[in-house]
Amino acid sequence: MNSPNLPVVSEGSRLTPGELHSVVFARAALGRRGYDEEQVRNFLQYVERELVKIFTDKAALADEVNRLRSQASSGSRGVMAPEDAHFQAVRILSQAQQTADLYVADAERYTRELAHEARLHREAILSDAKGRAEQMLEDAHRKAAAVAEAAVRTAPPQAAPAPRPENLPDADRLALEREIAYLRTYSDVYRTHLRSYLEALLRNVDEWESSERASLPGGNA
Amino acid sequence: MDAQRLKASFAQVAEKGDAVALFFYSDLFVRNPHLRDMFPIGMSGQRDKLLRALGHIVSQVDDLSNLVPFLQQLGRDHRRFGIVAEHYPHVGASLLATLRHFSGTAWTDDLESDWTAAYTLVAKVMLEAADENALTSPAWWNGQVVAVERRRFDISVLRIQPDRPLPYAPGQSVALEVPSRLRHWRYYSMANAPRPDHTVDFHVRLVDGGPVSPVLVRGTQAGDRVRMGAPIGTLTLDESSPRDVLLVAGSTGLAPLKAILEQVSRRAVPPRVHLFFGARSRDGLYDLEDLAKLADGFPWLTVVPAVSDEPGGHGFSSLLQSGDDGIEHGNLSDVVARRGPWDGHDAYVCGPAVMVGHTVEQLTRLGVPRDRIRLETFADAQR
Repeated sequence: MNSPNLPVVSEGSRLTPGELHSVVFARAALGRRGYDEEQVRNFLQYVERELVKIFTDKAALADEVNRLRSQASSGSRGVMAPEDAHFQAVRILSQAQQTADLYVADAERYTRELAHEARLHREAILSDAKGRAEQMLEDAHRKAAAVAEAAVRTAPPQAAPAPRPENLPDADRLALEREIAYLRTYSDVYRTHLRSYLEALLRNVDEWESSERASLPGGNA
Repeated sequence: MDAQRLKASFAQVAEKGDAVALFFYSDLFVRNPHLRDMFPIGMSGQRDKLLRALGHIVSQVDDLSNLVPFLQQLGRDHRRFGIVAEHYPHVGASLLATLRHFSGTAWTDDLESDWTAAYTLVAKVMLEAADENALTSPAWWNGQVVAVERRRFDISVLRIQPDRPLPYAPGQSVALEVPSRLRHWRYYSMANAPRPDHTVDFHVRLVDGGPVSPVLVRGTQAGDRVRMGAPIGTLTLDESSPRDVLLVAGSTGLAPLKAILEQVSRRAVPPRVHLFFGARSRDGLYDLEDLAKLADGFPWLTVVPAVSDEPGGHGFSSLLQSGDDGIEHGNLSDVVARRGPWDGHDAYVCGPAVMVGHTVEQLTRLGVPRDRIRLETFADAQR
């Protein structure tokens, strides 16, 4: 039986692709049938490729094991005990919660301040309106009083107890009638002013309310 | 279970204050992320509540006759948050982890078994009460807003139709949740005695910076949905009393007293009732029109409105107020005291805490026994 020059493999070490590559088979004896040389060669090449792959994979895995070993021995970076990981998670969540609480508290304070200022504005607008209205009223009252006083002064004191326009000289009567007409007009004008002022004020308040409503978030679109 | 040892242990842990509840909730959520959704984004109020409840429970741990009713109420009350039996062990585990964490070296096996026993008892009582309650009552009531009446820029009256009858006594309140402020529950009193159509009215005043009341007052309209918890509260009419009735209401504290007034009006022979309704300014008397109508219809009812911040005054402002219609001026408690004596009356007081405090002080000074004064301060529950 022809033995090929099979690789000499020392005890304990493994067959390498190189060894496989160098194998040379003896020719079959004349007249005897042997394996198809081409097929044998192809098969050996296939085995060689497989071995190369296995060796590469093995080396990569050994590297990975070494990397992980050194990482594990070098302390807390990366891998940690489950309990520590839990505390870490609790700490992170607590910090996140405190941040959220802070934001909520800030937002609440901000809206409180805004609302407070708006209330102050509202009070100011209302009291200003009241003040102006009172002033208008007092003004009108003062003018009316002055006119009445002037009318009395123009009437002669020695005349009848109730001086009537008919008893006055024509010029005085005319003046008085003018004053009365003025007063009537004044009262009309004053009333119109007051009404439009109050209406403007109400519109203001309405606008303010609707814009406030529009600025409210809320799912009632 | 050693009560003294528990109290000492809790006292030591509670020294760390807010950090304890912060750790507890973080631990609970890390272990059970799905539970986070049951709580609001901002948790500071929640942590306060937890610490207060824990403190109360531990302080009463050797007085079961007081503790058990408290826990039963707590268990029933938690149903509306969607809390079910399977949540209790999670809470227990995190509570134990928290106590262990903050006890440091003081933690022993004995202490651990004490706490375990205590929590097991607490959970058992709460769960049993919740389960029993579930036989007769839903976890919450769905409601639909059927009408909103804005009475002032910051006060609205809402009428809500519950999806099933809400059984309550006039004077009681419910926790309310609106969809746009999920997980924020605020207490409001029903402002009417139960009606045949089961609708209930709520008087809501806007609290600056509050998350819920601005939505209710300014952002709610007919058709909107709300959820309501079970009715609670002890500001209810003493039906057995033959005495006349004094009702003192500050601002939207009027709501429960109006409900009581309605209840009284249904009696065959109503007692004499004095209702004092106070606000800072005249436009704060948001329900005066209706009260005046009631007073016209009921000869036994006297309504006295009062304002504290507007002087009687002359000039144009008083002219604008269409004359004097019997509005008293001064602090509500003083106005009530001026109209006394009240020593033959049962008194019911509701409104801002300061106003309620002053009124109770004045009434007891005038000889009304303290146990004939029922009250509710709603300031804390309003936000």
